[in-house]
Amino acid sequence: MTNPAVRLDEVSKAFGDTYAVRDVSLDIAAGEFFSLLGPSGCGKTTTLRLIGGFADTTAGTILLDGVDVTGLPPNKRSVNTVFQSYAVFDHLSVADNVGFGLRRQGVGRSEIRSRVGAMLDLVQLTGLADRRPRTLSGGQRQRVALARALVCRPKVLLLDEPLAALDLKLRRQMQVELKQIQREVGVTFVFVTHDQDEALTMSDRVAVMNEGVVEQCGTPEDVYERPATTFVAAFMGTSNLMAGVYSADGTVAIAGGPTVAVGKRDGISDGAKVNVSVRPEKIWLSQHEQGMVVTGGTVRETVYSGPTTTYLIDIAPGVSVAALEQNTDRSRNEERWESGAEVRVGWRPEHCLVLT
Amino acid sequence: MSARVERKPRVAIAFTVLFFVILYLPIVVVVLFSFNAQKSLTVFKGFSLRWYDEFIHDSDMLASVGMSLRVSAVAMIGSVVIGAALALGMVRARSKLGSFAGLVMLIPLVTPEIVTGVASQLLFKGFYLHMSQVTVVIAEVTFSISYVTVILRSRVAAMNPELEEAAMDLGATRWQAVRLVTLPALLPAILASSVLIFAMVFDDFVLAYFTSGVSPQPLSVRIYSQIRNGVRPTINAVGTLMLLASFALIALALSIPRFFGRKGGLDILSGE
Repeated sequence: MTNPAVRLDEVSKAFGDTYAVRDVSLDIAAGEFFSLLGPSGCGKTTTLRLIGGFADTTAGTILLDGVDVTGLPPNKRSVNTVFQSYAVFDHLSVADNVGFGLRRQGVGRSEIRSRVGAMLDLVQLTGLADRRPRTLSGGQRQRVALARALVCRPKVLLLDEPLAALDLKLRRQMQVELKQIQREVGVTFVFVTHDQDEALTMSDRVAVMNEGVVEQCGTPEDVYERPATTFVAAFMGTSNLMAGVYSADGTVAIAGGPTVAVGKRDGISDGAKVNVSVRPEKIWLSQHEQGMVVTGGTVRETVYSGPTTTYLIDIAPGVSVAALEQNTDRSRNEERWESGAEVRVGWRPEHCLVLT
Repeated sequence: MSARVERKPRVAIAFTVLFFVILYLPIVVVVLFSFNAQKSLTVFKGFSLRWYDEFIHDSDMLASVGMSLRVSAVAMIGSVVIGAALALGMVRARSKLGSFAGLVMLIPLVTPEIVTGVASQLLFKGFYLHMSQVTVVIAEVTFSISYVTVILRSRVAAMNPELEEAAMDLGATRWQAVRLVTLPALLPAILASSVLIFAMVFDDFVLAYFTSGVSPQPLSVRIYSQIRNGVRPTINAVGTLMLLASFALIALALSIPRFFGRKGGLDILSGE
């Protein structure tokens, strides 16, 4: 049996009386791209700092590859970190930055030179070895930080919102590149982000955190399609949460709105207060099929955003849903509604999430 | 562009010129009369280097210059080492003691120097120490630490804490992180405060007067005691040389940022 690359066992971190991280248990497999996702202040960065050894745990144990490292300083842990600020050493050249860790390990001069060169090639900084970091762009500095950490061949690479400071285009490009590099070097990545798109596109698994606890841990599909809690549903994109009361016959009476079929759900008792959620892209405004829940509504607002259009639709006083339509036939001006238009809103009961 | 924007206010220009005249005229006079052929301090009677010649043959005066240089150098090194350590400790120690120490640190900056001078002398006498080079150095180091700490403290506080963390993450011990990352990052500020302290101690009179011995006297104290017996133009020559040395120091301080590839001049207080 192989050990998980990282195991957190009931880990807590308190600052004074407030818990930044509470009873977090995670197993991260070797070679996995694992994301810690959540809003700011949810404890994701603190969790990363606990793994890296930059903060002491209040309770619990941290194991790296089966070895208890709780209480060890960062220089005694076989992990490396890409910091949010990059923390590139401005007084050293790019090559000396990347070689910093190898020199600490006592690696020989010629080996340092070849490994640094190979790493600079990998992160596409070939030819910039002698430059000062100050003369580099933000994206290049970030690559220096990445190369500097990866060249040490860590068992686990910790990344603290490494793409947050980049502009959108560069960010998309780096997302793809990071993923490629991860596949190439096969190192376990623990990636902290507040951007759910980023977490979904890059990760093998995602842990969604809120107020210091892990709300759900699973594949991107799990957390998006089958959110375990209302928080996860709401955080993973627009989710059309509607409060209501569940009946044992498989319907939910939406407060102030229609009663809709959701199918019978195990584990939810009759009369329980629930939140019903349907993702905007699973709401149909035309060509409804049999078995769908269909209800009337009025378009309040339309938001055109290139490939898609989002309609904000009131289906009852105080109850509105967002519906996302592909603009496939937009040039032919078909299937288009302006605000005030009466529409038919439909979705499949099985696409309906019932969250307690 | 309208003419109105480009017209410079004449009053402002006049005040600026007046300011610089008042500031620098006495210095110009000193430089001028250091080349006077006669002993007169009021009438210029032709160019000569005789006062410079007299100065370099005045062994007491040279001994004083040597002493001032030694005291300044030792005080500079001592106060920068202690001051830097204090600055690091005060910022890093996440305790109330750190900010309290920071407050206490400011007191020497506002205490009248004459009080510090008298107090230092009383203290040394209390310990039955003879006033000598050692006592001046102790007094000057003590006095200068505050300046170093105040300058470096703001720089340490402004430093990205992730830099040291990154060093440790890459395998450095805490000490290695300080030596390999923190100190190089602080180097411009350290050099700037070194230059400042050297110049301050070299110029210092009050503290030196109260804490130095008879032989050799620091340069400032010797000049003062010579003036009491009537001013000799040699003093002008010494003053001019000190002025030159100060210019050299300032030029050095201004070029520090350039060594580190930074643009712009040096703000001596921040080391930027």
